[in-house]
Amino acid sequence: MFALRLVGAVVIPIAAFYTLWVTFDFLRDSEANRVIVVGVAVVVGVGGVFFLYWAMNRAVELLPERYREGVRPWIFVGPAMVLLSVFLVYPVINTILISFKDAQSQSFVGLDNFKFVFTDESMLRAIRNTLGWMILVPVAAVTTGLAFATLADRLRRGEAVAKSIIFLPMAISFAGASITWRLIYSFRPAGFGSNIGLLNGIMLGLGQNPVDWLSQHPWNNLYLMVIMVWMQTGFAMVVLSAAIKSIPDEIIEAARIDGASEWQVFRRIIVPSILPTIVVVATYMVINSLKVFDIVFVMGNAELNQTEVIAERMIRWFFIGQDYGKGAAIAVVLFIVVIPVMVWNVRRFREEEMIR
Amino acid sequence: MRRLRLLSLLSIVLLIGGACKAKENEGGATGGPKEANTGKVNVLAAVEPEEADALQGIADQTITGVDYTVEFEAAGNFEQDVQVRGQGGTLDVILLPQPGSLPGLVTSAHAVSLEDMGYDIGELEATFGKPFMDLGLVDGKHYGIPTNINLKSMIWYPKDDFDKAGYKVPTTWDELMALSDQIVADGSTPWCVGFQSEGSTGWPATDWMEDIMLRTAGPDTYDQWYKHEIPFDDPSVVNAGKMFGDVMFHPGYVLGGAENTPGLAFGDAPLPMFDNPPKCWLHRQASFINAFFPKDAKAGVDYDWFPFPSMTTEGGPLFGGEVAMVFRNSPEVKDFLDRFMGTDFQCAMAGITAASRISPNVNVGSDCYANQILADSAEVLKEGLKAGTARFDASDLMPAAVGSGSFWTGMVKYMKEGPSSLDGILKDIDSSWPS
Amino acid sequence: MSLAQAGDVEEAAEPVVAASQGRGVGEVRKGGWFVLLTIVAVCVLWLIPALGVLVTSFRNGDLVNTSGWWTAFAHPFQAGEWTVENYRSALDAGGLGNSFLNSLAVTIPSTAYAFSWMDFRGRYLLFVTVVGLLVVPLQMALIPILKLYVNGATLFDYVVFPQLHLNGTFLAVWLAHTGFGLPLAVYLLRNYIGSLPSSIIESAKIDGADHFTIFWRLIVPLSVPALAAFAIFQFLWVWNDLLVAYVFLGGERSVQVLTLNLANLVGSRGENWQLLTSAAFISMALPLIVFFSLQKYFVRGLTAGAVKG
Repeated sequence: MFALRLVGAVVIPIAAFYTLWVTFDFLRDSEANRVIVVGVAVVVGVGGVFFLYWAMNRAVELLPERYREGVRPWIFVGPAMVLLSVFLVYPVINTILISFKDAQSQSFVGLDNFKFVFTDESMLRAIRNTLGWMILVPVAAVTTGLAFATLADRLRRGEAVAKSIIFLPMAISFAGASITWRLIYSFRPAGFGSNIGLLNGIMLGLGQNPVDWLSQHPWNNLYLMVIMVWMQTGFAMVVLSAAIKSIPDEIIEAARIDGASEWQVFRRIIVPSILPTIVVVATYMVINSLKVFDIVFVMGNAELNQTEVIAERMIRWFFIGQDYGKGAAIAVVLFIVVIPVMVWNVRRFREEEMIR
Repeated sequence: MRRLRLLSLLSIVLLIGGACKAKENEGGATGGPKEANTGKVNVLAAVEPEEADALQGIADQTITGVDYTVEFEAAGNFEQDVQVRGQGGTLDVILLPQPGSLPGLVTSAHAVSLEDMGYDIGELEATFGKPFMDLGLVDGKHYGIPTNINLKSMIWYPKDDFDKAGYKVPTTWDELMALSDQIVADGSTPWCVGFQSEGSTGWPATDWMEDIMLRTAGPDTYDQWYKHEIPFDDPSVVNAGKMFGDVMFHPGYVLGGAENTPGLAFGDAPLPMFDNPPKCWLHRQASFINAFFPKDAKAGVDYDWFPFPSMTTEGGPLFGGEVAMVFRNSPEVKDFLDRFMGTDFQCAMAGITAASRISPNVNVGSDCYANQILADSAEVLKEGLKAGTARFDASDLMPAAVGSGSFWTGMVKYMKEGPSSLDGILKDIDSSWPS
Repeated sequence: MSLAQAGDVEEAAEPVVAASQGRGVGEVRKGGWFVLLTIVAVCVLWLIPALGVLVTSFRNGDLVNTSGWWTAFAHPFQAGEWTVENYRSALDAGGLGNSFLNSLAVTIPSTAYAFSWMDFRGRYLLFVTVVGLLVVPLQMALIPILKLYVNGATLFDYVVFPQLHLNGTFLAVWLAHTGFGLPLAVYLLRNYIGSLPSSIIESAKIDGADHFTIFWRLIVPLSVPALAAFAIFQFLWVWNDLLVAYVFLGGERSVQVLTLNLANLVGSRGENWQLLTSAAFISMALPLIVFFSLQKYFVRGLTAGAVKG
C-alpha cells in the first residue's frame, strides 16, 4: 500500500508535466493561425498549470502523513523557483563570472574591472547620480501617488477618469515617452527657427532667451527624473489605491464619527493600514530607478551633460563599448547597491511574520 | 484505489507518448551539420524600415529561382541587437556601419572568415581595393566585404541665393575662409552647425575633425591616427583641432555661436539656410542630410553641394559605409552574398532615393544612381579611391570606447569650453584608448 | 465554509452602511473643494506632456518642426493646420495589423502564464531572492537565455537544459516574459496576501479546508484587487516591450510586434519623429482599455467581512 502510494506520488506529477510538454510542443510547432494558437496557449497554459498544481497536490495527499506538510510548500514554490533560476538566477551567475574576465571574456583579469568601476571619473559620477535617482524619484512618485489615491478615493464621480489620467503615461511605450518630452525640453538657439519645446516657448513668451535645459548641470538630472516620476506615479497610484480600497469602511467611518479630522484619518488609519504596501511600492520604485537607463540614454550625451547613471554606463560599456568585463562589473555594482534594500525588506518581512 | 490505478495507467500512456514525441524531435534536430541550408537568410542592417523595404524589394526581384528566401531586417538598436543575436547565434549576415567593432564581433559572435567561406581574397581586392578589404582584417583573415559607401565630405549651400549674392564655389581652404569672411562682411553668418544627436551627440563634430585631419596631415598619418600608432594628442591632431576651432570660434562665423552647437540637433542645423534671405550659407554634412531639408526644397535649385576643399596636403574625400559580416557558413548564405555584391543588385540599390547608397563595386555605372547628387558624389568618391587618398570615417574605425565615446564627447566639450581646452581634451581621449 | 461568517458580518455592518450612505449625500464636506482642486491640478500637470503628443500627432511634419505645438491653439481653424496624415503613414507602415495581432499573441499568454505561476507561500529565502532578482537588468539576461534557447546547456557532458528549438517561436517569448515578470508578481502579491487577516485562514482550516481549497476558494477571490493591479502591469510591460520580443522572435516582418514596428518608424537618424506621435497614441489605446475594464475590480470593501473574522 505504502509503495503504491509512493509510486503514485511520483508518477502523477511526471504525467502532468508530460501532458504540458506535449501541448507545449504543439504550440512550438504550430505557426498556422495565430488566433487559434493564442486561444490554445491560454487555455492549455493556464488550465495546464492549474492541473499541474492540482495533480501535485493530489500526489502529496498520497504521501504518508508525516511527510505531507514538509513537501507541500515545495509544490507551491517549486515551479516558480525553476522558472526563476532559468530566467534570472542563471544570468546573474553568468554576469558575475564575466565581470572577472577581460573585454571579450577570453581570460580572467581578477579585480581589474572593479578597479575601473570605482576609479573612473564618469563611473563615480554615475554612482552619485544613481543614488540621487534612488532617493528622489521614489519619494516624489510615492508621495504623489499616495496623495492622489487618497483624494481620488473620496471623489463621488470621475474617480476612474482621474486615475486614468495619472495612469496614462504608463501606457506610453518608451519610444513614445522620449518624443513626449522632446516636445517639452527641446532647444533651438536664436536664429534656428521657433522653439518647439514648451519650456522654451514659455521662456520666449516671458521675454527670456531659450535655454538648453538638458545641459544645465546639475539641474538636468532633476529634469530627467521628472520624466521618470511622470511615467511611474501611475504604478504607485494604482497599487496604493487598491490597498486603500481594502481598508474596511467601518473603521474609517467609526473614526469620523468619533470626530477625527480628515488629516487624522489619513495619518492614524490610512497610512498605518497600508504601510506594508507603501514599503512594497517604494522598494519597487527604488529598484526601478536603479535600473533606469533609457531616459538618460536618449536625452543627450550623458557624459557631456554629466547625467550618467549606473545602468546607462552598463549598457554603454557592454553593448556599445563591447567591453563585456566592464559592463558586467557595472551590473554587479547594481546587485550590490540593492543589498540594503533587500535587508530592509527582509527585516520588515520578519517583523510581519512575528506579529501574525 | 481504482481512481489511482486509472491515473497511473494514464500517466504511463502519456509517458510513452511523450518519449516517442521527444525522439521524433531529436531526429529533426540532428538532421545535419550546422551549416546545412536552412532555406532562410536574414540580413540585419542599421537602416530605416523604408530602406529595408526597398532592399527587400530588390532582393525579391533579383534573387529568384533559388531554394532559399532572404529577409532584410531594419535594426532600431543596431549595436545591442548585433551583440545579443550574434552571441545567441541567430544572425546570418549583418551590414556593419562601424568596422571598428568588427574584431570584437569576430571573437564574441564567432563570425565566419571570407577565406573559410571559400572566397578568393585577391579577386575581392581587385574589385574593392586592398585598403578597403583590410578594414576587415583580423589575425590574417578577412571578415568584411564592402557593400555600400556614402560620401561625408560635402558642403551644402542655398544655390539660388548663393548665385544671386555673387558667391563662387570655393576649391581651396583659403577660398572657403575668404568666402566666409565675405559673408560676414555682407552682414550675414556663413556657417550653420549642430552636433546634438541624442545619445550619440558629438559625431558630426568628429566628422569635421576627420575631414581636416585627412587634408592637413595626409592619409598615412590619418591611418596611424585611427590605429593609435601615434598618440591622440600628437602635434598633427592638435593642429587639426586648432583649425577646426579656428572656424568654430571665429567671431561671427557660426550661427548661434560654437557653445550652442552641442545642444542643437544636427537635423535642425541646416534649416536657416532655407530662410528668406538665408540666415546661414554653408553646412558641412554627409549625403543623407537632405532628408532633413524642408519638403519643398528642390535639389539643384534651392540647394546644392560642393566637395570639402583641399587643404595643405593631398587627402580626401572622407566616406562612411557598410561592410557585410557573415555568421553562418552555408551554401545559401554564400549564394546570397555573391548576388548581393553583383552588379545587378548593386545597381538597383544605387537607385533607392531614400538610401543615398553608393556602390563600392567599380562596375556600377553612374546611370544606376537615383539622382544627380548621388551620381556626382559617386564620381568624387571613385576618384578619391582611385588616387588612394579617400579614407573611411576614422571614428567608425576606432575602438568603440573612443570612436563612439570619448571622441564624440571630447569634441563637443571643446565647443563648450573654448580653444584653450583643446590640449587637455585630446590628452583625455588618448588616455581613454583601451589597452 | 465561510458563508456563516459572512452573514454575521453583514448584520454587524449594517449601521456602517447607513453611515457611508450618509456620506454620499453630504458630498461637499469640509475640504471637498480642496480635494477636487488638487485632483484637477495634478491631472492637468500630468496631461500637458501627453497633450503635446496628441496635438503634434495631428499636425503636418513641416509645421511640427517649425512651430511649437501649443501655437496650434492660437489659430485652430486655419487651413492646413490639421492632418491625419501621420496616422495614415503609421498605419500603412508595413503590416501594422499583423504586428498588432503579434503583440496580442505575445501579451495575452504572457499575462495569463505569469498569473498561473504566481506563488503565494514563499518563505524568506525565496523572498530575498525574489527582491534581489527584481534588480537584474533584463539586458544582462538576454544573451545567456538566447544561448540556452538556441544551444541548450550542458554541464560536464550532462544535459542540464535540453536543446528545445524554442528560438523564433512565440512560446519562447511567453516563457521569458513569465520568468521576467515573476519577481514583481511574487513580491506584490505576497505582500497583499500577507496583509490578509490570518483569522480567516485559521477558521477555514478549522472548518476542514486543505491548503489547496483555501488557496482557490479564499485567497484568490480575496486578492482580486491586487490581481487586477498586477494584470495591468504585466499587460503593459509586455505590450510596451520590444526588446524581449525582438530578441527571441527575431526582426522578421511576419512576427514583428507593434512596438518594434512603431519604434522603427522614426528612422535610424530620427528624421520622421512626428510619425511616432501618432504611433504612440495607436499603441496606447489597448492598454488604456484594459485599465478601464479592470477598474471595476478596484472596489471598496472586498475584505469588509474580514475584520471581525
